Amino acid sequence: MRAVLRGGRLLDGAGDHGVHDLYVKDGVVEGTDLGGTVDQELDAAGMVVTPAFLDLHAHLRDPGQETKEDLASGLAAAAAGGFGTVVSMANTVPVVDDPGMVADLVARAARLPGARLRPAAALSKGLRGEELTDMAALAAAGAVMVTDDGVPVADARLFRSACHYAAELGLVVQTHSEDPGLRDDGVMNEGEVSQRLGLPGNPVEAEAVMLFRDGEIARLTGARVHLAHVSSARGLEVGRWLKASGAPVTLEVTPHHLTLTDEALAGYDPVFKVAPPLRREADVEALRAGLRDGSVDSIGTDHAPHTLAEKQQDMLSAPFGIANLEVSFPLLHTRLVAAGLLPLGRLLWHLQDGPAAVMGWPAPRLSPGAPADITVLDLQTSAPVVGAEFRSKAKHTPWEGEAFTGWPVATLVGGEVVFRRAQAAA
Amino acid sequence: MEDNPNLQYKSTIMSATEFDRAMRRIAHEVIERNKGASDVALVGIHTRGAPLAERLAALIEGFEGTRPMIGKLDITLYRDDLTEISLQPVVKRTEVDFDVHGARIVLVDDVLFTGRTARAALDAIVDMGRPAAIQYAVMVDRGHRELPIRADYVGKNVPTSRSEIVHVRVAEVDGEDQVELWERTE
Amino acid sequence: MIGAAAAHVPPTPPPALARRQRHLLDFEGWPAEDLVALLDTADVMAQVLTRPVKRVPALQGFTVATLFFEDSTRTRLSFERAARAQSADVMSFSAGSSSLAKGESLRDTLRTIEQLQADLYVVRHRSAGVPHQLARWTDGAVVNAGDGRHAHPTQALLDAYTLRAALTEAGLTAQDRIRPFAGRRLAIVGDVEHSRVARSNAALFTRLGGEVVLAGPAGLLPPQLAAQPGVHVTADLGEAVSGADAVMALRLQRERMGSSRLPSLAEYVHRYQITQRHMEMAAPHARFMHPGPMNRDVEVATDVADGPRSLVERQVAAGVPVRMAVLYTLLVGKR
Repeated sequence: MRAVLRGGRLLDGAGDHGVHDLYVKDGVVEGTDLGGTVDQELDAAGMVVTPAFLDLHAHLRDPGQETKEDLASGLAAAAAGGFGTVVSMANTVPVVDDPGMVADLVARAARLPGARLRPAAALSKGLRGEELTDMAALAAAGAVMVTDDGVPVADARLFRSACHYAAELGLVVQTHSEDPGLRDDGVMNEGEVSQRLGLPGNPVEAEAVMLFRDGEIARLTGARVHLAHVSSARGLEVGRWLKASGAPVTLEVTPHHLTLTDEALAGYDPVFKVAPPLRREADVEALRAGLRDGSVDSIGTDHAPHTLAEKQQDMLSAPFGIANLEVSFPLLHTRLVAAGLLPLGRLLWHLQDGPAAVMGWPAPRLSPGAPADITVLDLQTSAPVVGAEFRSKAKHTPWEGEAFTGWPVATLVGGEVVFRRAQAAA
Repeated sequence: MEDNPNLQYKSTIMSATEFDRAMRRIAHEVIERNKGASDVALVGIHTRGAPLAERLAALIEGFEGTRPMIGKLDITLYRDDLTEISLQPVVKRTEVDFDVHGARIVLVDDVLFTGRTARAALDAIVDMGRPAAIQYAVMVDRGHRELPIRADYVGKNVPTSRSEIVHVRVAEVDGEDQVELWERTE
Repeated sequence: MIGAAAAHVPPTPPPALARRQRHLLDFEGWPAEDLVALLDTADVMAQVLTRPVKRVPALQGFTVATLFFEDSTRTRLSFERAARAQSADVMSFSAGSSSLAKGESLRDTLRTIEQLQADLYVVRHRSAGVPHQLARWTDGAVVNAGDGRHAHPTQALLDAYTLRAALTEAGLTAQDRIRPFAGRRLAIVGDVEHSRVARSNAALFTRLGGEVVLAGPAGLLPPQLAAQPGVHVTADLGEAVSGADAVMALRLQRERMGSSRLPSLAEYVHRYQITQRHMEMAAPHARFMHPGPMNRDVEVATDVADGPRSLVERQVAAGVPVRMAVLYTLLVGKR
């Protein structure tokens, strides 16, 4: 199997390589401008050709909540969003806390077209925060990270033990850093807007104190702790301080926290209900600055699909989460890169080299011999978000109808085309 | 709505003098019909019926020495065209401070047209109690009845076409007494 | 007769408001003029309720549906009486959250109820925003009868109606009719954080020209509420009631007593109960108000609740005419 991506501009973490024909063969990059016969040809003229993105944070809901998402729809959605690799979260039903389940996920995903699956496993059994999981066995079965994401680990002693154990195994620990007591029954950011709307608030302090605790435990144990979905200026300050003082932490931000504020809740639409909650304008500004100055390591989607019926409940009952695998890159390209707030290379870095470094994986490149996990991006054509066309089962989105540029037009995983965008009807 | 370009003045039907003469005649007729004024209550329908009722009461008092009871009636809550008349019809207070029961009520309005206002006023009065009689006085009867209603006292009968508007101007509201005919031009 | 027409003043249509409000969700988008018109309409409705026949045909042919996802018999009855007193048909739907538990979404529930073809929905729900959500999904009018901590606009309207009447009786009629509370201060005392009554009253009284002071234990007194113009917050009850024209005590929810939010009932009573002494610190004409139901001798001393300054019974009586005015205003008029 040999294919060529013809005439695209090649960009990766090593730089801008200019316009070339990129040849892939037998699952890896073969080289540029080689010529010769190919089995498949993709026209990439006017497009950017770049390593497929890595998402360290997606809820694929499989097993047990297949009405929200399953492996097939989730991995297809990832590919459509330009992602070649996805780390699935463990808060499924039942929880991924058993090596057999990890192995099953890996085996099933291998047979599905779409992005590669690198499952995370639970840090505590049943996400109950009481007993540690068998991390060694989970890792042996293919788990690349341990996390109770979705549920904060309330017990600091348990978290410490988990970090000791993970450090020994070289596993990355991902946190959901929100203090349960301070977060309480909050459904949105606590502040002027929550008070005006009469919705229970979740203060920035819930995140800040827990990030501090989790970071200090990382330092204490030497575990590599990935602080997920940092949502606030204060949280980012804590993260920066932890890093500067030598704690082995890395920081993640999400597309929605980079683009939306709590004012979005003014219409009481649960599509904007997410945890941690959308914050203030100043927080959004701070997170964007964190991308620019490199204090943030990765952008994780925190893709959290739910059914439309669940999202059409009242604000207290509706579940938290935004399904955004398919819009993340166009959203950030439009709002940050095209708006002149962030260089393209920087955005790509946070979706490629940044997350790879967090996990200790090789930096994705377009150089010969590298895995042919590639995405082709159209940075010029503006097209509206149409939730109904999502591969994800969750077809409602905060950005419905908004016009974005930066849509992935094709994604290759291991040299196979796993996604091609249908040409817009003329 | 001070200048309504779709309305055009046509003619003056009653001058101030004719207006006053009609009021006096109606006052006499009310006394005549009710054999005095002791049980009579004049209830003006908002907006222009109210000052007319006050004036009739003063005239009757002048002729008879007894002042009839006076009230003001807002019939908005009884209208059958509430979803059509305007964007948001304003309701006003009804001021009927006497006991309706057993009274001889004379409803007073400026114009009798379809009869729908009178129908609403009758319902409104009956909901306040059981009067001995209800009579109806208007300055102008312009015809085009849609209900079996007639006035007991009429200042002037004016044959009109449906596109015409009878504008009864009352000094207390409009600065002068005069009845005019206007035409809807569109 | 050329030129003569100019000398004549054309007839004007009957008075009407310039705009038509579709819903009463909270007071967003309700200018003072429309709010005062509501209070004035409520005056007329109160008059209807004193007559032998306490019913007018104004809403004949309209159907009002009460959707109470959270139980409140007194509010529901008040709305139903207000609808029937204007000859509207009434349907009541008390949902609890039974259908939702079966996996039905709020929108599905509304779709089912919409088959019954109501013109106006009166909605009570434990979650803020449900009336807004329903308003997005239905062609009917929506009246918020209390949503979570967010708003209870008809309660605030009946409070304003009652206080405006009481001030007028005391000879304190405002100069500007659309600012009936200009120069007046309302103190609202209690668990402000969880109170939709406090939020709605703060929004309404300030729109009508008044000032509002919110007072209560610091943990139940969100400082962010002072972001609204005309609203102040203080944990000092004395400061709040001093010179106030009205003092409103909020109901202390039983589940809050002795919780982590409040050390003890005794301490609350000691620090925040409205007593005769507080009423003496207020303006000489000051009145006491309470949205009900009252916890006697918790948030208010019985002698204040039953005393000559108390407007509590009049507040209750104002419920039906004010809600009649709301239904009338939202249903009647050109579409």
